[in-house]
Order: sequence, then structure tokens, then C-alpha cells
Amino acid sequence: MFSIENAYLIAIYPLISAVLIMLFTHKSRVISSGLSIAAVALGLAHSLSVFFSFHGHEAIEQNYTWIKAGSFHLEMGSLIDPLAIIMLLTVNLVSLLVQIYTHGYMDEDSGYTRFYSYLSLFTFSMLGLVISTNLFQMYFFWELVGVCSFLLIGFWWYKPSAAHACKKAFVVNRVGDAGFLLGLILLYYFTKGIYENTGAVALGFTQLKEITMQAIATNELAVTGLISITTIGILIFMGAAAKSAQFPLHIWLPDAMEGPTPISALIHAATMVAAGVYLIARIFPILSIDGSQALQVVAWVGGITAIFAATIAFSQNDIKKGLAYSTCSQLGYMVMAAGLGAPQIAMFHLVTHAMFKAMLFLGSGSVIMGCHHEQDMREMGGLRKHMPITAITFLIGTLSISGFPFMSGFWSKDMIIAKAWEVNMPLFWIAAITAGMTAFYMFRIYFMTFEGKYRGHAHPHEQPLCVTGPLMILAIPSIILGFWGSPFTNYKLQHYLDHHFHSHMEQGQSAMEFVMHEMSLPFGYIPFTMFLVGTIAAYLIYIQQIKIGDKTVNEWFKSSFAIVYSGSSNKWWIDEIYDVIVAGFMFLFRFTWKAFEVIIIEGFIINGICWRGTEFVGEVLKVQQSGKLQNYVLVMISAAMLMVAWFIYN
Amino acid sequence: MDFISTHSLSAILLLLTAAAALISLLKLDEAGARKIALGASLAVLAISLHQYFNLIDPSNTNLQLVESYKWIGNINFALGIDGLSFSMVLLNAILLPVVLLASKPIAQKGKPRLYYSLILILSVAVMAVFMAKDLFVFFLAWELELVPMYFLINIWGSKNRNYASMKFLLYTFAAGVLLLIGFFWLMTETGFQSFDMKELAVLAQSLSYNVQLPIFILFAICFIIKLPSVPFHTWLPDAHVEAPTPVSMLLAGILLKMGCYGLMRFGLEFFPLPLVKLAPVIAVLGAVNILYGAYAALIQTDLKKVIAYSSISHMGFILMGMAALNTAGYAGAAFQMFSHGLISAALFFIVGMIYERAHTREISEFGGLIKVMPQTFFLALVAIMANLGLPGLSGFVGETLVFYGAFSSNASSSLIQISAAVATLGVILTAGYMLWLNQRVFYGEMNAKWSELKDANSREIFILAFLLGLTLVYGLNPSFINMLFEPMLMNLASITDKIV
Repeated sequence: MFSIENAYLIAIYPLISAVLIMLFTHKSRVISSGLSIAAVALGLAHSLSVFFSFHGHEAIEQNYTWIKAGSFHLEMGSLIDPLAIIMLLTVNLVSLLVQIYTHGYMDEDSGYTRFYSYLSLFTFSMLGLVISTNLFQMYFFWELVGVCSFLLIGFWWYKPSAAHACKKAFVVNRVGDAGFLLGLILLYYFTKGIYENTGAVALGFTQLKEITMQAIATNELAVTGLISITTIGILIFMGAAAKSAQFPLHIWLPDAMEGPTPISALIHAATMVAAGVYLIARIFPILSIDGSQALQVVAWVGGITAIFAATIAFSQNDIKKGLAYSTCSQLGYMVMAAGLGAPQIAMFHLVTHAMFKAMLFLGSGSVIMGCHHEQDMREMGGLRKHMPITAITFLIGTLSISGFPFMSGFWSKDMIIAKAWEVNMPLFWIAAITAGMTAFYMFRIYFMTFEGKYRGHAHPHEQPLCVTGPLMILAIPSIILGFWGSPFTNYKLQHYLDHHFHSHMEQGQSAMEFVMHEMSLPFGYIPFTMFLVGTIAAYLIYIQQIKIGDKTVNEWFKSSFAIVYSGSSNKWWIDEIYDVIVAGFMFLFRFTWKAFEVIIIEGFIINGICWRGTEFVGEVLKVQQSGKLQNYVLVMISAAMLMVAWFIYN
Repeated sequence: MDFISTHSLSAILLLLTAAAALISLLKLDEAGARKIALGASLAVLAISLHQYFNLIDPSNTNLQLVESYKWIGNINFALGIDGLSFSMVLLNAILLPVVLLASKPIAQKGKPRLYYSLILILSVAVMAVFMAKDLFVFFLAWELELVPMYFLINIWGSKNRNYASMKFLLYTFAAGVLLLIGFFWLMTETGFQSFDMKELAVLAQSLSYNVQLPIFILFAICFIIKLPSVPFHTWLPDAHVEAPTPVSMLLAGILLKMGCYGLMRFGLEFFPLPLVKLAPVIAVLGAVNILYGAYAALIQTDLKKVIAYSSISHMGFILMGMAALNTAGYAGAAFQMFSHGLISAALFFIVGMIYERAHTREISEFGGLIKVMPQTFFLALVAIMANLGLPGLSGFVGETLVFYGAFSSNASSSLIQISAAVATLGVILTAGYMLWLNQRVFYGEMNAKWSELKDANSREIFILAFLLGLTLVYGLNPSFINMLFEPMLMNLASITDKIV
């Protein structure tokens, strides 16, 4: 039943549950949530079975023609290879836990069943994206996950902020998508001859590189220049950058936190935003073509996003906003890793990040519920005593993301930093500093929320098992999943994704020795030191509350570096800059529309020349129609004489 | 049944005409008139479905179901359809019953018999345009269409209806005059040998380029006025704003397609040479339409005008598909014609529903309507998503084919690729204006004065579910429609390809 050949069913299960809920069962809460959870549980079981029965490295691909016009044809199908399997497992696991959690979180909401139908629809779209066989199909599902995200951010549509945020998310993503579309059509244009001759799946992932290389070899396609494989790569990357909230298209993600918290965990932390990284991993073969500059761009965009978002995370007081900028920053790491030439490591961080970030978001949701819908961390504190399970799991997540040795985040993130050491020194320093900043802002969130004294006015309480259960389950991979990609298993995950993966570990060397050796090198101890510095700084400032002069460190910083502080807390005014640009365009549109249509066409030509002009000519001519016979005779005779004169003259 | 199968085209025309005559002759109330009209339209739909499933052979690229009756001299009353024209006949047959169902509130306002007979006559004219095999019949039907449309806007329209209906009449009439000149010029050049469109097409192609070009330009301007394309588009927003809802649905759904159809029919079959030469101009015009329509829609404050400008924007894709000069482009244009017919009809219907309840179309007055109209919102959301080209709904298919077609065009000028690249910005703008509209109408806090508004009734839900269900079906499996015209367009593309 659960075979690799019918692995496309993994995506179909949630589609069926979504349709059933929307059409039939939306009146019943039990059946709807049960259907939705069962569908994704089935999907997870199927994915596990695929994972264990997948041997060898040959991808399994099925395609159906979706549309055909002459020699042009587009396919849809399913591609099952290690990359897809890893994503199938991640998406199904997180989706399952989030859906269980949702039962607790949305219990009192009147849109309970609607929420489950959207969750199922999203899971379908995301899985469809994962098993795409070609760039076009990926674009198809890319848009569908976007619309699910739109629906879920705007789930509480009556809040003006949510109404604004969902539109913003969709439109910003459309900017990236326009680039994506342009890129894939350009790529198609340069390779269409080969697809037409060979009948290969148009823009199929399995042959993407070969066919592109053929186009380059026959000089159809340049490697660099205005229209080249470099620009095509960058255009497609635009789609990834928008979806994965990379600078400067990151602005929609923090606002997306207006959606219910389970959505923030599933879509805006663990899965959909990671689709950008997945896309980069998929098109890596053409990004990395010799001579292409695209990877440079990818790496730098990732690096800049990582550090830029971290600076904003420093000063956010809304617990979800803080986590949102952290997500941006971590996605920056992944994008950078792919840009540095290590998509396997990017995927590794994607998987570990999905676990601990989903857990952190679900934990923040638990806190928000426990504090009666309070999101401001200044109104929290000391929650550890009231919500022990949430606090411990949150601490585990914090340690993991900050890079505490041997936890999941430590392996995946430090591998990215080590890769930067090999390839690009400036990016190494950016990544290392960001590591310290990560530790600082994450512990800041943890300390402000769970330690010290409670500052709010509610009566915080722990949440039921359907909320804490998923937290505890996610805590396990947050701690140990990293070993899958660590020297202790001889980088099993990386080898699974790419059997050419090369590690520096020598034959016969024990893993522990190797790790100790690596930690003694700069790319080992610098990030670790950064982690310690960040953590200790957060401890001193938020627990010990040390003072500089007679001010706390925060007050001192606010007064001494006012511009930096207000820059960080105002997100470096990026939103304002966009607002000005949009307002400028709106003004331009209004102005040109008025000038062109209202004044020139309508006012001057249609109602002016054509209407008033005709009227005027009529006014003039009607004088001729005087009713006096002698006038008519006069006109007649003069006309006849003119005609005669004309004939004679000719 | 056999007789109907062999005379299915004239049967459609006769059925509609007979129903119109019956309604105007009998003493009927609104419900009676509507039932007769609806009955006739359902019979037409049944015939069209019979044609779809049994009679039409899409792999045959010639005209099919041909009927020819001797008329005046060598003018015949000749009908015939191929995949392209059949897709339009089918669209008209699908839209007509929906429009009649949607007409109930309008016809109840007064003169129901006149109203329904005019709608039926309008459909006869439009059907005849798509079925015409004889150029004279084509011209006649083209001109006949504007009479009922003028009265439909002028009698049942809103406040400024006189201005709008006169503007519609004058624009369309001016277009008709250009068509007439082109028609006579063509007949003179070919020596009045035949009015048969297939024979004329061969004759027209044999004319010298210097003769073909001006005739084609006359035809083309006529068609792009109807399309409408910038700068001849200003009649459309006015006509839409003043026209009653069902008339808007017909106008956007099928009447605009006459322009597209004419452009494809005459451009591809009669004048491929000038079409190829003018392709860059058409491509630029397409891009201008896409962008101008989109940004004009962005700044409108009247709900209906947003949708009207959106139509103009989407018509740009048809121009761009034509300019691509390959099968993908042509098929994209043809698919866009069909899909836009469904989507725009649904959108205009939704606007009409809101207007009927709130008596205003000022966008700023609305907000938070989900609260009182949740079902309307869900249906509207599907329509909005279809309009902004969401994959899985039919709007996406046409746009994708057109973009692929335009980029992979073999045309000598790279203006087509550049126009298409610029037009991708339209994709962003479309998302912007549609979602902003959605936000301002349905999301956010509700204005208290709307708390009494009623949600969609079952008639309205049926109409929207029908139109949007088809949008979904054709979006998921575009081949249902694409297979109708793909073979014949491939054939025509091979002709233009040779010229390129």
C-alpha cells in the first residue's frame, strides 16, 4: 500500500481531507479535525515507509502532460529522490504536530473547522511543491502555498492589521514570483529546442543541468552577461528570496505573525518559508555552473539577511516578532550555505531549524495562551514556575538554535560557519558574529519570558497535553537530530542527499577526536566563543541586571546609542522606505491616468474635439439651412459653375 | 435528432430568435418571459454540449457542421465552426442561462418582455458572428449586435446611462464603419468573386502586401476598439458602470471576445503576412494594455470600474498571445478568451450582488463584509484568485501559455520578448489591486450600516458556483478546452511560422 511508486498519494491525502471538510464536514468539529489529522498522519506513515524502502540513488519520477500546444508541453508529476524524501518527512512531521496542537490552541475559535481545512489545503500544496518534477510545477504549487499563507495570515480578517499583513505577504511574494516566472521562462526559451528534440520533461529537475549545459555548449545561452545563466539563476532566486524572507523582500514575514500561532510555527517558520531554500537546493546544479556569478549573489544575500535580521531581533518586545526575525536570520544562514556551495548543509539546517523553530513558536503560543493573549514580553517573566513544560522545551529550543554543543542547531549551524571559513572570509565573520547575536537575542527572549519575576496581570497557567505534547515530541529531534548530520554518524544525512559529499574526517579517526580537533581550530572555537559571549551578555543584562553608572545596560544603550537603538526597534525603517516608494508609484499612476485618460482622451479628444467639435460644426452649418429658396439656388449655381470651371481647367 | 445534428448551428440561431419572438408576442409577466428565455438557452446549451461531445472533431482543422443557404447573388447564408469559433459558441451557450438567471432583479424593474427578447437577440447576433462562414453574414451580425446592446444599457442602465450608451454606440459604430470600408476594399480587390470566408482567405493571402496591409489595419482597428485596447478603451468603463449586472456579464463575458475572435480569425487566416509584420506593434500594445489596465484598476474608487479596467488588462494577454506567432501564444490567447469570459462574468455578478444590497459601489464605504456575507466572500475569493492568475484556476493557464509563447517566439524582433518581460510586472500589479480590493471590501472592521446586509441566496450561490466550478475544472484540466483549438491553431501557426 505505502510504496514509492504511489508516493504522490502523500500529497493527495490532505487534499482529500481539505475538500471533505470544506464541502461536507465543516459543521462537525470532531470529524473535521480528525480527518485533517488522520490525513497527515497517513502521509507521515507513507513518507516513513518511502524513506525506509528507498535505496540506491536513482530518483523515481512519474509525469503526466498537463497542457500541450504544438511542440510546447508542460508536465506535472512526482519526483521522489533523497531531497524530496527529507522534505516529505519534515513537512509531514511538523504538520502533524502542529495540527494536534491546533486542537488546543483554536479550541475556542469559531473558525475551528475552517482553520483545519486551510491547514489541510496548505499541507497538500506544500507537499505538491516538494514532489514537483520540474520548475513549472514547482511554480504552480509555489503560488498555492502562497495563497494558503494569505488565507491563514488573514484568518482573523476583522483585525485591520491582519487584513493588511495578508495582502502584504501575497504582494511581496508576487514580486519574487514575477522574477521566478521570468527566470524559468527565459530558461525554457534558451533550452526549448533540446526539450522539443528529446521530449524530455520541460524544465525537469533531473536533467536540468545536462540540458542547460548543452544550451551553453551550443552557444545558445551565455554564462554571464545581461541575459545569461547567471541572470536566470538570480531571477529564479528572487522567488526563493521572497518566500524565504531574504533582505530586502523580508518585510512580509514579521507582519505575517498576525496569523494564529500554529500557522506561524508551521508555515512561517518550519515549512513554507523553507521552500525558498528547497528551491535553491533544487536548482543548485544550474546555479553552480562554472563561471556563473549567481551563487555569489545567493551567498551574500543570505549573509546580509542573517546579520541584518539579527540586529532587529535585539529590540523586539513582541515574543512572536522576536522569533520571526530569528527565523529570517536563520533562513539567511541556510541561503548563505547554499550560496557557499553546500546545499546539503543548507538542507541539514533546514531540517533541524524546522524542529526547534516550530517548537519555539508553539512554545510562544503556549505562553500567549497562558498569559491570556498577551504577546508583549515586558508583561511576562517568571513563567517557568507556572508553565514548567513550556519553559523547559523553550529552553531546549533556545540552546539548540544558539548552538549549544552537541545539540541539533550546533551541528547544522556550525557546519555552515565552517563552510564559510573555507570559501568566503567576510561571510565567515558575518556568520560568526550573527551566531553570538543569535545566542544573545534568544536568551533575551527566554530570560524575559520565563525567568525573573512575573510582571503581567493575568494568572499564567500551563496548557493541556495536546499543546505540551507536541512541544515535548519536538524537543527530542531538537536535541538529537543533529547527530544525523554530524561526524558521529559520518555525516549520514549529507551522504544521503549527495553521495559525493566530502568531509574532512580522516580514515580511522574517531568522531570525538575529530570534533575536538575541529573545535581547536578558528572556525570551531570562534563561533563557540560567540555563543558564550552572547549567552553570558544576555544573562548579565537580563538576570543580573548589571548597571553602567546608575543606569541598566538597556537604558544606557538607549541613551548613548539612540540612533542604533531606534534603528533596530524600527526595523531600520525598511517598511517606511517601501511605503514611500509605493506612495510614489500610486501618485505616478494617478497622475498619468488623469493626464492620459481623463484629460487627453476623454476631456480633449472624445468630449472635446469629437463631441463639442461636432456640435460646433453643426452650429456653423445649420446657418446654411435658412429655408430661403434664393440662397439654395445661389449655392447650387455657384457650385455648378465651379464644377464647370474645374472641368475646363483640366 | 439527426436533423438537429446536421443543422445544429441554425438550430441554435432559430431557437433563440423564436424565443425572442415568442416573448415579444405573448402577453407574459417577468417570470413567464424568463422561463421561455431560460428554456431556449438551456436547449442551446444542450445542443452545444452535443456538439462538444459528439459532433465536433477537433483534430479536423477545417470548418465543420457547415450549412449554406442561397441568399442574394453569390452571398450565402453560410454557417460553419471550427475549434476556435466553437469554443466561443460554447462560452456563449454557457453564459446565456447564467445571465438570464442573474437577470431576475433587473427585469422585474420594468419591461421584462423587451428585456428578455433583447438579450436573446443579442445572443443571436453574437452567435452568428462566431458561426459566420460568409463575410456578409459576419458583417451583418457584427452590426446587429450593437442595437440590442444600446437599448439594454439605455433603458435598464443607471444614472448616466444616456451618455454611456451613446458612447458605446458611437465607438462600436465607428468600428463598424472601418470594418465596412475594409470589407468593401477587400471585396473590390478580390473582384467580388465570393463572400465565402474560406475562399476569401485564400484570395486575400494572394493579394500584394501593400494592399493587404491597409485592409488588415482597418480590420484590426475595428477589432481592437471592440477588444478594447488602449487608447480606444474609454467606452468600456463607462458602459460597464452604467450597464445593469447581467448586461455587464454579457459585455465582459462574450461581447469583448468578438474583437479577439475577429482579430484571430482575420489576422491568422486572411492576413498572416501583415500580422507577422505588425507583430511587434501588437506585442507592445498588449504590454501597454496589461500594465495600463492594471494600474488604472489600482487607483479606481468604484468597484465596477476596478473590474472593468481589469478586463482591459486581461485583454492585453490576448494581444500578446497573437503577437507571439506560435501555437503556445495563439492557444494562450484563445484560452484566455474563454477563461476571462467565465471569470469576468463571475466578478461582475459579485459586484452586482453587493451593489444591489448596498446601493453603492464606492470601495471606501465597505469593509469587513465577511461578517455578514461569508458565503459571498468565499465565492468572491475564488473569483479574485482566478482573476489574479492563481494556478489551478483557469486564469493561470492562458497567462502561462501567453508568456511561454511570447518568450519562445521566433519573431525577428525581440520587442516581443521585451514586452513580455515588462508585462510580468502586471502580474504583481494584478495581485495588488485584486487583493487590495478584497481587503477594503471584505476584510477589516465593518461599517455598522452594513450589518443588515443579506448573504447570497441560493440562486446567487448557484450562479457563482457554476461559473467558478468551471473555472476550477478548466484550471485543473485545461485540455478540456485547449484540445478544441490546439490542432487548428497549430495549423495556423505553421503558416505564420513560414512567413517568419
